Order: sequence, then structure tokens, then C-alpha cells
Amino acid sequence: MESPPNDYHISFFKPATEMARLNRNIVITLVIIWTVAIFGFQIALKVISKPTPEPAYLAFEQVWDQVSSGRASDVDLQVFAQTCLSVLGKNFIAPDHKTALDNGLSWSLSKLAGSERGTILGQDIAAFEKLKGEIENITDPAYVNARNELASAVAPVLGLSPGDVRTTLISIELNSSMMDALSSESREAIPAAMALYLIHPQSFLTDGRLFGFPFHYFYTAVFLLVLFVGLCWLYCVRADHRDRILGIEQ
Amino acid sequence: MKKFILPVIFLAIPALLSAATGATQLEGSFKVGPSIILITILCLFVIVGIFFRAKDTTDFYAAGRGISRVGSGMAIASNWMSAASFLGMAALMYGAGYHGLAYVVGWTGGYVLLLILMAGQIRRYGKYTAADFIGDRYYSQSLRAIGAIIAILISISYCVGQFGGIGLMFKWVMGVSYGWSVVIGGTVVLAYTLISGMLGVTKNMQIQYVIIIISFIIPLFILTFKFDYFWLLPQIGYGAVVSDVVSGIPLAESQQLLNSFGHAYAMVPAPEYAMPFDPATGQTFYQWIAISFSLMVGTAGLPHVIQRFYVVPKASDARWSVVWGLFFICVLYWSAPAYAAFGKVLSANPEVGRLAKDAIVVYTAQLGNVHPLIVGLLAAGGVSAAFSTVSGLLVAGASAFAHDLYVKTINPDAPPKKQLLFARMGTILMAAIVTAIALAKLALIGQLVAVAFSLAGCTIFPLFLLGIWWSGSNKQGAVAGLIAGGAISTIALTYFIAGKMGATLPGHDFIAYWLGAWYFGIIGAPLAILVHIIVARMTPETPIEIRKFLIEKVHSQ
Repeated sequence: MESPPNDYHISFFKPATEMARLNRNIVITLVIIWTVAIFGFQIALKVISKPTPEPAYLAFEQVWDQVSSGRASDVDLQVFAQTCLSVLGKNFIAPDHKTALDNGLSWSLSKLAGSERGTILGQDIAAFEKLKGEIENITDPAYVNARNELASAVAPVLGLSPGDVRTTLISIELNSSMMDALSSESREAIPAAMALYLIHPQSFLTDGRLFGFPFHYFYTAVFLLVLFVGLCWLYCVRADHRDRILGIEQ
Repeated sequence: MKKFILPVIFLAIPALLSAATGATQLEGSFKVGPSIILITILCLFVIVGIFFRAKDTTDFYAAGRGISRVGSGMAIASNWMSAASFLGMAALMYGAGYHGLAYVVGWTGGYVLLLILMAGQIRRYGKYTAADFIGDRYYSQSLRAIGAIIAILISISYCVGQFGGIGLMFKWVMGVSYGWSVVIGGTVVLAYTLISGMLGVTKNMQIQYVIIIISFIIPLFILTFKFDYFWLLPQIGYGAVVSDVVSGIPLAESQQLLNSFGHAYAMVPAPEYAMPFDPATGQTFYQWIAISFSLMVGTAGLPHVIQRFYVVPKASDARWSVVWGLFFICVLYWSAPAYAAFGKVLSANPEVGRLAKDAIVVYTAQLGNVHPLIVGLLAAGGVSAAFSTVSGLLVAGASAFAHDLYVKTINPDAPPKKQLLFARMGTILMAAIVTAIALAKLALIGQLVAVAFSLAGCTIFPLFLLGIWWSGSNKQGAVAGLIAGGAISTIALTYFIAGKMGATLPGHDFIAYWLGAWYFGIIGAPLAILVHIIVARMTPETPIEIRKFLIEKVHSQ
């Protein structure tokens, strides 16, 4: 160990001892790797990502003008109802968006079914809602049967095949009190909700797959942690090596 | 030890078997099997605490500095893996998708900073507590006292989230109200900490680590196996679950796989779950960066984390204990996102309703039809995680109260017995305050804990960083930096609390966004460092004894 200078000043960038100098070099190297690996990658994700719509959004865009102006064909209404379900099936949506989309779905069904069948379906939905309020457990057989029967009756009207996952949402999302009209609030909220939930920032980093993960997700959730352990291990090895060179005994 | 543990196990097994029921309710009722598991584990902790109890103040504060590298690494991991890691992280990812990974990165990446900038140097400095270091390095009894108060505030803030986690799990297991759960759980962890001190805590932490990690990983093996993913390494196998969430799972592919409510294992595409900074999550790029940065600098400034480096014999042991600690921590952090991904699919049907995010780990196991006893073990693991951290935090807080405030500032001649008495009084006082705040349920567990990190990042981190690495850092600079960091912290927390109380202060939206309660460290820490440097350069330099000590003891041997 060399003799320290008389003024005993030390700083990270002006190390006064050999140990501090060696330490500084290791630290700078590791901090650069650490910074680029964490923040550099996130910045790259942000910079290169582009708003990418889900197929449901493209379908919505094609029919919304007709739906909102009252000129929609049955097929347009079916597509619209299906896109409403595509958003309603997501775990977390804002309550006002959910209300608007429930309205869109229920109103579309009413329009598609026509007055006579629409009335019958409205009664079925109201009966199901009543049952839903009465049961204590959603595994209640009577409730499960009613739910499945309602879904089976409505799915063809909405143009959904039995294997479509959105059929499982129909009974829960239909609302008998929202079938008569598409409210002005809903008309305003629906396009914003569709854009919010169906357009996503994506890039080749998010579209690529590694070990089953989206690449960027694997990088952040798995690889970065491996890197952190590796950096720590490397530092300890280098620090032990440094101590040996300097003859430091602890 | 065996004399106590074996009879408990033998008595518990028949009761557990008879308690195992076919169906598990998500909430509400008293669950016999999980309760027995939880009580057995808590008894085990208390017994270990009694066997390894603190005999004097050195034991109470620093466990006699006799812990091995791997053992210390396990203790670091156990101390670290709190309710925020065990329950909160999955909750954040379940709710906000990729945004939640900012917490994963922040809570692990900070250890790199801690290791390369501080661990060995702190051990060489040779102090017991963070306030001890601050008082000595900045040659000021007042700063020592302020350091102690900050350490106590950070410990309280950190504990609040833990007590919230304890409350949720006790509520789930015992079917009692959240309020009662917090009070019961808090009382048990307080009793245990008072009995054992840090020596018992360190031994317990090694046992707790094993319990925490086993209880966390077993359900994941089951879930990945059951839902036909690569189950041999669930930490990799869940990647396909994330991709399935993004692309959606058709009914036809679910092949009769059902959740516990009978819903098919199917869902509509939800790319917002995995896509970075997706507007649908309500979170932005700035918030992602701010959270990870704040958590990282906070990690390197948390008193109870720094304090762990005093319990290893040598500086190299302090360094290697970080590597082991981080590896043990990562085992859990690699696993937590899997619960969020499975939770996303298993609760996809709106009929499941809005689940309490902080309990999503347990709910996911239940929804995946994992055996109730294993779900009970998982819940007990969650409680253990909270316990292990709370006990460490209470010891750190008690050390600050008794050692730094009472002995070093008020009564330097206090006999060891009186010191221990004050340490225990401090522990009780802290536990009471934490219980009162936890009952208010201010935010998600992970977010509450993140507040402590930002607080540490704005106050203690700059003092340690500059104190170790720059001899020009002096008392005046430290005071100015503390004022700057403290001011940012106060503004952020005032706006947060006002918002929670329904009040709107001037510029509320602006402050709430740029100085969010869980990430104000991104502004506060750099500002505190900058102010510290500027003021230190304008004022008398550090006394030569301190500079000499830094060179000869901290940076030369």
C-alpha cells in the first residue's frame, strides 16, 4: 500500500490511493454496462415502437361511421358488437368505458334481433340479470345453465361461432336496460375506448419471441436479473483480485 | 429444537389432512388447513427466536458479526423479500403489465449500485447503524439524530406495506376482518422481534428464506404442469403464458382446462399486458424510468439493508453476501411475474370480478385449482415474507431509536440494560404507529414500500455516496443536501396524502405526475447530491481526521 498524500483528499474521479483507483476503474466499467443495459434498452423500446392496432380495431374503424350514423348493415352491427366484446374481455377497463361498450353491445343486439325477437331476448336478459342478483355462487348449476343458454341464443345473432372466446362474455356484458338506444355519451366514449385498448406500442423487439416470451419481456424480466447477478459476481472476483495484488488482509 | 418442532409437525399433519377440502373459496371463510400451516410456521419462528435470542446490545444490533457469506446472503434475501416482493410485485404486474417490471428491475438493479459503491466501504467504516455513519462522517451529533429520525421514518414507511400484506393474508386465512388481521399479525411479529433481536432474526431469516421460496415456487410448478407449459423451469415456462395473453387463447385450444369457477382457460388478446408503456395501462415511459431509478437509489440507501453489512466479518464477505443475496432474491423475482401472467388468464372471465390485486398470488393458485393446503402454504409464505422484513425493520428502527437517538445523543453513559430497554420501547412504539397507518389502506403494498425507497434515495443515499467517495463532502453540504431531499420528499408526500384525503392543492396534477409518491426519488436524489456538492464547495473543508480516516481505513485496506 502506498503512502497517502499529505492533504488526504480523495474523490471518486481523483482517487488518492491505488485501491481507490483500481476500484474506480471497475466501478465505471460496470456502471456503464448497467446503465446501458437497463435504461438504454427501455429508451430503444420507446423510440422504435409504433402504434400498432389489433385486428379488432381495424374492423371497428371500418364500421364505426356507418354504426354511429345509423346506416349500418347487419354485418356492420355484428362486427361492431364483436369489437365491443374484444375490449370488454380485457381485465381492466375504466368503468365509463365499460358502460359505453356494454351499451354498444346491448343496442347492437337489439337492432340485429329486430323488434319481436329483440323483446324476447330483452326478457331473457332481464331474467338472467335477476337470477345473477339472487345466486350466492357463480358455480350454481341453475345460473351456469341460464348463462350458457343465453350465450347460445345470442351468439348466432352477433355472428359469433361457438368456438369464439367472446361467446363466454356475452351473458355477463349484456344489459337489458341499455338495449333501446346508443346514448350520446356512449357514442363519444366508444371511439376513444377502442383506440385506448386496441392500439399498442409495438416493434420488432416486442414481436420477436425468445423461450416463448416476447423478446423485450424476456430481456427485462429474466435477462436483466441474470446480468445483475453476473455484474455483482464479476465485481467481487475483481475486488478479491485487487485485494490480492495490493496485499490487503482483512 | 427437534423436541419442539417434531411434536408440532406430528400433531399438525392429521389436522391438515382432515382440513383439506375439495373446493377453495377465494375469500371469506375460516380456512382450517391454511390456518394450521400458518400457526405452525409462526410458532417455529418464535421457537427459533428464543433459541437464538440476543444476549446483549451487540447481539441485538449486529448479530455478533458471526454469519457466513451464504448465510448472510440468505438473510439479506429474506430480509429483502417482503410482502412487496411476495405479493405486491405480482399485483403490480397483474394490474399494469410491463409497467410492473419497473419494480422488478428497480428492486434488483439497486443491488449492483449498493455493491460496487458501498457494501465493502460501509463494512470497513465499521459502524453499527446508518445514523452512526452519518454522525461520524459528518462530525455532527445533530446530523446523527436527524439520520436516526430519517431511518425511523423509512422503517415505518416500509413497515406499513408489510403490515398491509400481513393483514391481507391473515384475512384470507382466518376469515377475520382486515383491521383485526393487521392487529393480530402486528402483535405476533412484535412479540417475536422483542424476544429475539437481530441474532435470532438472522437465524430465523435463513429458515424464512427457505420457507418463502419453497412456498412460492411449488404452486408455479403445479400451474405450469397443469396448464401444459414447460413446467421443469416455470421461471422460463411462463414465457409462453405471456405470449398467450398477448395473442389470446381460443376456446378450441383450451382443451377443457378450467379455472376453479369452471371457466375455460381462454381469453381475448390482451397485448396491453406485455407491451411497454402501453397507454391502456395508464402508465408512461417517464414513470417506468422514474420508478426503477428511485427504487435503485433507494435500495442503496435503506438503513435496514445497509445494516446487514455490519453483520459479516470482513469487507469481502460483505461483498460476496450481496452476490448471494441478490441471487436468492432473483429466484423469487424470476418467479413473481408468472403469477401475474397466470392470474391474467385465470381471471379473464368478467364473472370472476375485480380481485384484490395484492392477493393475486394466492387467488391465482386458487383459480388454478391448486390443492388448498398448498395454497395455504403459499399464504403462509406471504406472511413469512412480511414477518422477516418487518422484524429486520423494527430492529433497524429500534437501533436508531436507542443507539443513535438515546445513547449517542441524549445519554452516552446509559448501561447496556437500559439501552436494550429503550431498543424494545422503540420497537413497540414503531409497531403501534405502523399498525395505525396500515389500517388506512392508502395504496397497493408495492407502492407503499416504494415510498420508503424514494425517501431513502433522497436523504440517506446521497449522504453515503458522497460521504464514502468524496472527502470534500462536509457537514454543511450534508445539511443542505438533506434539506433539498427532505423538501422534495415533503412536497411529494404532502400532495399524495392530500390527494388521498380528497383535497386538491395547487398544481396537483403536475406534482402528482412528476413527483409521484412512489418515484419522487428520481428528482429528489440528484437534486440532493447537486445541492450537497455546491454547498460543500462553498464552505470549510472536511476536518483532516475524517479525510485521513477515509483514505487509510476505507479506501486503503
